Amino acid sequence: MHLAEVNLELYIPIGMLVVMAVLFVTANMVLTHLMGPRTLGANKDVPYESGMNPIGSARKRFNVRFYILAMTFLVFDVEIIFLYPWAVTFAKLEPRSPEATLFLARIMFFIATSIVAYVYAWRKGVFRWD
Amino acid sequence: MPAWLPSWVTPQLMMSMLVIFVVVNSIAGGALYLILLERRVAAWIQDRCGPNRVGPMGLLQPIADAIKLLFKEEYIPRRADRVLFLLAPGLTVIPALISFAVIPWAGTLQIAGESVAVAGATVNIGIIYLVAVTSLGIYGVVLGGWASNNKYAFLGSLRAAAQMVSYEIPMGLSILVLILTAATVHPAEMVARQLEGQWFLLHQPLAAIIFFTCMLAEANRLPFDLAESESELVGGWHTEYSSLKWAFFFMGEYGHILVGSAFFTVMFLGGWSINPFTGDDLPASGGLVMILLQVGVVMGKVLALIGLIMALRWTLPRFRYDQVMRLAWEGMIPASLFMLLVTSVYVYLGLCADGLMWTGSLGVIFLIWLGRPLVARKTAPNHRIPLAGSRFSPS
Repeated sequence: MHLAEVNLELYIPIGMLVVMAVLFVTANMVLTHLMGPRTLGANKDVPYESGMNPIGSARKRFNVRFYILAMTFLVFDVEIIFLYPWAVTFAKLEPRSPEATLFLARIMFFIATSIVAYVYAWRKGVFRWD
Repeated sequence: MPAWLPSWVTPQLMMSMLVIFVVVNSIAGGALYLILLERRVAAWIQDRCGPNRVGPMGLLQPIADAIKLLFKEEYIPRRADRVLFLLAPGLTVIPALISFAVIPWAGTLQIAGESVAVAGATVNIGIIYLVAVTSLGIYGVVLGGWASNNKYAFLGSLRAAAQMVSYEIPMGLSILVLILTAATVHPAEMVARQLEGQWFLLHQPLAAIIFFTCMLAEANRLPFDLAESESELVGGWHTEYSSLKWAFFFMGEYGHILVGSAFFTVMFLGGWSINPFTGDDLPASGGLVMILLQVGVVMGKVLALIGLIMALRWTLPRFRYDQVMRLAWEGMIPASLFMLLVTSVYVYLGLCADGLMWTGSLGVIFLIWLGRPLVARKTAPNHRIPLAGSRFSPS
């Protein structure tokens, strides 16, 4: 579909809904800010950590084994986004036609490359959490 | 239409505004009533009474709760990041509210010579919009936990980030499998395919199971609610929140359950289709009575799914963290990738259009079941500490 054919009027309700949702949230936040009581206390600003005095700040570096996991996520998420238009087009093609064969072969290669990356990450121990 | 209106005010736009108005209000109120329902179901399962004092059968309890929360002190910790702390509840609740725009609640309404679709917006990229918007909900959790400057909140938000990111992938892949089956990303067309033929649940049972599990994980529901696991992390990412900001997190959670159930209904349970097997079904368009009946069918399916989710919550124990991550990365991602390959081959051979997709899906389930003993069981990561007198004692 060309960009000129996209009917932007269909998106007006979504825009209005976004405005409504933002207004709903803002209005409620302001309302509760104005209506609620305000008290001060000696220990009120201490973070609640089960009644213990907190040791140090919570803004610390923490190993979540997250970096490589995030990279793997990116690989797969981008792949999925690429596959959406492919899926719609491929499912509308004539079965077993030469065009469909080309489509299938291309996407098989594409998925195979990401499976190689996935197996590599698995063997590397990215998914081990213990 | 009257002539004085501008040209972009179409009957469809007015219908969309009506649907959006009704839906937004019923989500804001419905989330509160879902909390009441949840508490009553919990009480029923645990053989208690539950909240039954405020009004008949406790039906006014949500209103009392809302008024109470509105008048509570709105507290911002001094050492918190103020901007992000205020932004986080909004970022949780706004995606939950706006994601409903594309869900078709019924077929085309024929009224006064016009035909209008009963949906917030009839855009042709509906499914992609849903996927995009529902995954925005993660920002509220992560930012809220980080901005609180509380270690429990921090740990909860980290868990939520890793968990939601991981379950995003099998969810996307199972939706992809369904798009291959349906050959469209338009939600109303997807329902139309299921009205003509079978529900996609019958074509793609494995994708339905994977999608449902990922939906629970994305909404942070038990058995996947590690982000707020109250026995470990106090309240998880919303430990430091109070007043209506705290209520927004709950509204976001129940909103995600609602939109997830509606999404599942449209994709797998055929929307307002009442016959799972053949094309003898409700028509795709009709008068006011038929449309109301169709809305009733959709709402009935959504409520049944919510009931299932609540029953699951009080039946299953919570996963351990490494189990959650292993289920996503070593279980559901390979399964859904395999299912994607099998589905594309079926589509290529034309078997999918012949209605034989269920053989592929059941075949993959059978292969997973066969391959189950081959997956090496790792040793338990819990180290038992020998303690004299306990049942773990070595003697």
